[in-house]
Amino acid sequence: MIAVALLLAQTAAGPSVIARGERIFAQSCSVGYCHGIAGAAGRGPRLRGRSFTKDYLLNVTREGIPSSAMPAWKGRLKDDDIRAVVEYVASLASATDAAPPANPMPPGAGPAALPGFNGPPQAGRGRALFFDPARANCGVCHAVGGRGIAIAPELTSLPMKSQAELASAIHATGSRHVLTAKLQTGEQFSVLLAAQNGDEVRLYDLTAPPPVLRTFARSQIVSLVESPVWRHVDVVKDYSAQELEDIAAYLRWAATGQ
Amino acid sequence: MRHLASRRGDARVARFAFWVLACALVGSLFAQDGATRADWPHYGGERSAWRYSALDQIDRSNVGRLKAVWAFQTGKVDGGFNATPLVVNGVMYVSSSWNRVFAIDAETGREIWHYFYQNPREIGIIYSPWTRGVAVGSGRVFFGTLDNYVVALDQKTGRELWRVNVEDMRQCGCNITGAPLLIKDKVVVGVTGGDSAHRGYLTAFDVNTGRRAWRFWTIPAAGEKGNETWDGDSWKSGGGATWLTGSYDPELNLLYWGVGNAASDFYGEARKGTNLYTDSIIALDPDTGKLKWYYQEVPHDVWDFDAAFECVLVNAPVNGVPRKLLLNVNKGGYTFVIDRTNGEFVSAWPVAENINWIKGVDAKGNLVGRNEPPVGKPALVCPSIGGGRQWNHGSYSPRTGWFYTTGIEWCQEVTVTPEEPKEGLNFFGGVFHLKPPLHGPAGGHLDAYDPVTGKKFWSYASKYPLLASQLSTAGDLVFSGDPEGNFFALDAQTGKKLWSFPTGSGHRGSPIAYSVRGKQYIATPSGWGSALAGLLPQMWPETEDFPPGSTLFVFALPPEER
Repeated sequence: MIAVALLLAQTAAGPSVIARGERIFAQSCSVGYCHGIAGAAGRGPRLRGRSFTKDYLLNVTREGIPSSAMPAWKGRLKDDDIRAVVEYVASLASATDAAPPANPMPPGAGPAALPGFNGPPQAGRGRALFFDPARANCGVCHAVGGRGIAIAPELTSLPMKSQAELASAIHATGSRHVLTAKLQTGEQFSVLLAAQNGDEVRLYDLTAPPPVLRTFARSQIVSLVESPVWRHVDVVKDYSAQELEDIAAYLRWAATGQ
Repeated sequence: MRHLASRRGDARVARFAFWVLACALVGSLFAQDGATRADWPHYGGERSAWRYSALDQIDRSNVGRLKAVWAFQTGKVDGGFNATPLVVNGVMYVSSSWNRVFAIDAETGREIWHYFYQNPREIGIIYSPWTRGVAVGSGRVFFGTLDNYVVALDQKTGRELWRVNVEDMRQCGCNITGAPLLIKDKVVVGVTGGDSAHRGYLTAFDVNTGRRAWRFWTIPAAGEKGNETWDGDSWKSGGGATWLTGSYDPELNLLYWGVGNAASDFYGEARKGTNLYTDSIIALDPDTGKLKWYYQEVPHDVWDFDAAFECVLVNAPVNGVPRKLLLNVNKGGYTFVIDRTNGEFVSAWPVAENINWIKGVDAKGNLVGRNEPPVGKPALVCPSIGGGRQWNHGSYSPRTGWFYTTGIEWCQEVTVTPEEPKEGLNFFGGVFHLKPPLHGPAGGHLDAYDPVTGKKFWSYASKYPLLASQLSTAGDLVFSGDPEGNFFALDAQTGKKLWSFPTGSGHRGSPIAYSVRGKQYIATPSGWGSALAGLLPQMWPETEDFPPGSTLFVFALPPEER
C-alpha cells in the first residue's frame, strides 16, 4: 500500500493532473493568438507532437522567454497549476493527429483565477486612482508594486510611516530634485536630471504629464538651477482631498503592508 | 467669320466658355493628388493612403527585366519584417522587429545610421515583436516601441531627441506596432490592446518637445456621450485599439483613424449595446483631437472584426455625383465606403466569398442577418479571426480608378466563453480553430475592384492567404508578395503576372516605389512572421517550416533599360 502511494507520488502525472493541466491550458494558453486549442499552434509555437523535457517546460512556463511574447506565469498561476500545465504539455508529445480534440474548457468556466489586489478597500481605491490613465495619474512618474514608470523616487522605499507624512509629501510645494532648464533657444521648463554622459545631458521635461525624456547636447543648455516654480501639489490638483487620502492609504499599504 | 456671329451665338459661346471654366474649376477643386513621386514620405505613400506611385519608368513593357540592385539585412528575424519603408531625399528610413531603426542610402543600400531601441527583456504581451514603420518629418524620425514609448530621433544622425511613455504596458496590455502619422507639428500614435482588457485611445505629441498634445479615447467615459452604449463598467476594458495608421485630408483638415474590435473579442454579454467607438472610423480635428464624426461599421462586435485597417481617401463619382470618399476594408471581409466629409454611409461590398457572420449589409449600412456564436457551443464562423482580409494594405490607382486588395477564404470554429477582464492581460472571451471554408478551397486572392460598387475586374488566385500590402504605379503595375517568398508584379489592367522574384522568405510587409537621381526603384521587405504567420499552420501545416527572414530587397531596371 505504502509502496503504491510512493510510486504514485513519484510519477506525479496521474490522469487527473493532466486533465487539470488541460483545463488550465485551455483557459490560459490556448486563448487569443497564443498556442491554439490543445497546442495546435497560434502565433505562439505548436506544442502538439513535440518533445520537450519537463524541466525545460517548467522553467519556460514559470520564467517566460526573455525578448519574446511568452510571459512568466509565476505570480499569474499557482505553482501547482503551472506543474499541471507542464504535465499536460508533456503529454502532447505523442499526439499525432493534426486536428485537435474539442476545447475542454466547459461553458462558463472562465479564465484561470489570477492573483489580484488583496489590500484593504481604501487602498484599492487609491491604487485605481494612482494608475488611472484617464487622470493626471501618479503612475506616469512613480512606480509602485511593479506598475508605473519610475522616473521619480520609488515611493515604497521612502521612510514614510504615517498618513499625515504622506499627505504632506503629496502636497509639497518644493522639491530638491526638480530643476529649471534654460535652453539656448530661450525655452525654459522644469526638469529632473536623468543622466549626463560626455557631451550628452538627458532631462525629464516635467512641463505636463507624462514626463518626456529629452536628450540635449551640453552646449544647448544655458543653465540648470533649482526650480522656483515646480510644485508637486500642482500636479495633484485634479484629485479631491478624499481621493488623495485614498492614494495615501494605498502608498502606506504598499510600503508597510498595513 | 467673326462679324457674322450673332448675339445669340456670342451668348452660346459665352455660356460654353462658362461651363468649360466651371467644369475645369470643379475638376481642379475635385482633383486629388494622393500619388507619391521621388519620395515615399508617409506610411501609406501620401496621407491619402493610396499606396500609388506616379513613377512610370518601370512599366508593363519592361518589368520583366527588373533586377535586384541591393539588399539590406536588419539582423532580427523574429516576428517577420512587417514594415513600410519611407524614402525622403534619397534616404530610406525603415524599422524592423524589436524596434531596430535604420537610415539607408536609397541608391546604394549603404547604412547611414542605425538605432537599436533597448526594449526590456520581459515583454510577455501578445502584440510583439513586429513593427510596421516610422514617420519622418521636422528633421526627425518617429516610431513607437514594443514597451509603449514614442521615440524621436534626429533624422541626420539617428541620435535620440526625446522619448515618452504612452501608458505602462503592464497595465494596459498594449504597445505600439503601427507607424505614427505626422500632421503639422504633431505626431499621432495609436496603440494595440484590442485583445486585452484595455480602453483604447489615440495620442498626439508635439514633434519638437514630445509633450502630449491631446488624447482621444476611443471609448467614451462615464458621463460622456456614447458611454450609454456600454453595460456597467465594461467600457473600462472594452478594447477599441488604434493599432494601425490613419489618414489625413489637408483640405478638410480631418484626421481619420480606424478603431479595432470590442473586447472581450467573442463574449459580448457583459457589454450589451453598440459599444462605441469600437469598429468605427473616427474623424478628428488633428489640432485638438476632438471628434468631428464617426461611422460604426460593426455595432456590438462579437467576432473580432476590427475597422482598424487603412482609410483610403478617394474622390469618385457616386451615381454620377462626385464625392469625397473613404474606403475601409473591415476584417469581417466587407469594404465600407463612406463620405469623408460627414461620415455618411455610401456602400459596402465584400472582398471574400466565404462570409457567414452576416447575410449582408443593407442600403443604409445596417448589418443584416447577424450570426452571433452562442456561449459554450462550438460554432462555425466565416471568415476566421484572421479576417476576410488581413491588415496588409490595399492600393488605389487613379489611372485605372480601381482599388487593389486581397481577400482570404477560411473559416473557424469558435467557442465563446464568459471571461472577466484582468489588468494588462488577454481578454478574448473564447477560443478558435481554423476550418476550411464553406465553398471552394481555403486560400487567398488579390483582386481589382471598382472602389464604390465593388465590381470585380480581375482576380489573382493564391494557394495561401496573401499577407503583404499592394503597391500600384503609373506603369500600370501592381506589386505584392506571397508567403512562399515570391515578390511579383501584375498587370494592373488584367491581373496577369508579368514578373516574379524569389526573395527566400515570405512577405508580410509593404512594397514602395521611389526614385533617386531620376532612376526608379521598387523596394520590398521580405521576412515571414507575425501572429497570422503563426496561425497558418493550423490550416496549412507545411507553413510551419517556412523560413523567417528580415531582408529589404530593392529592384531597378538594368542601365540599358533606362
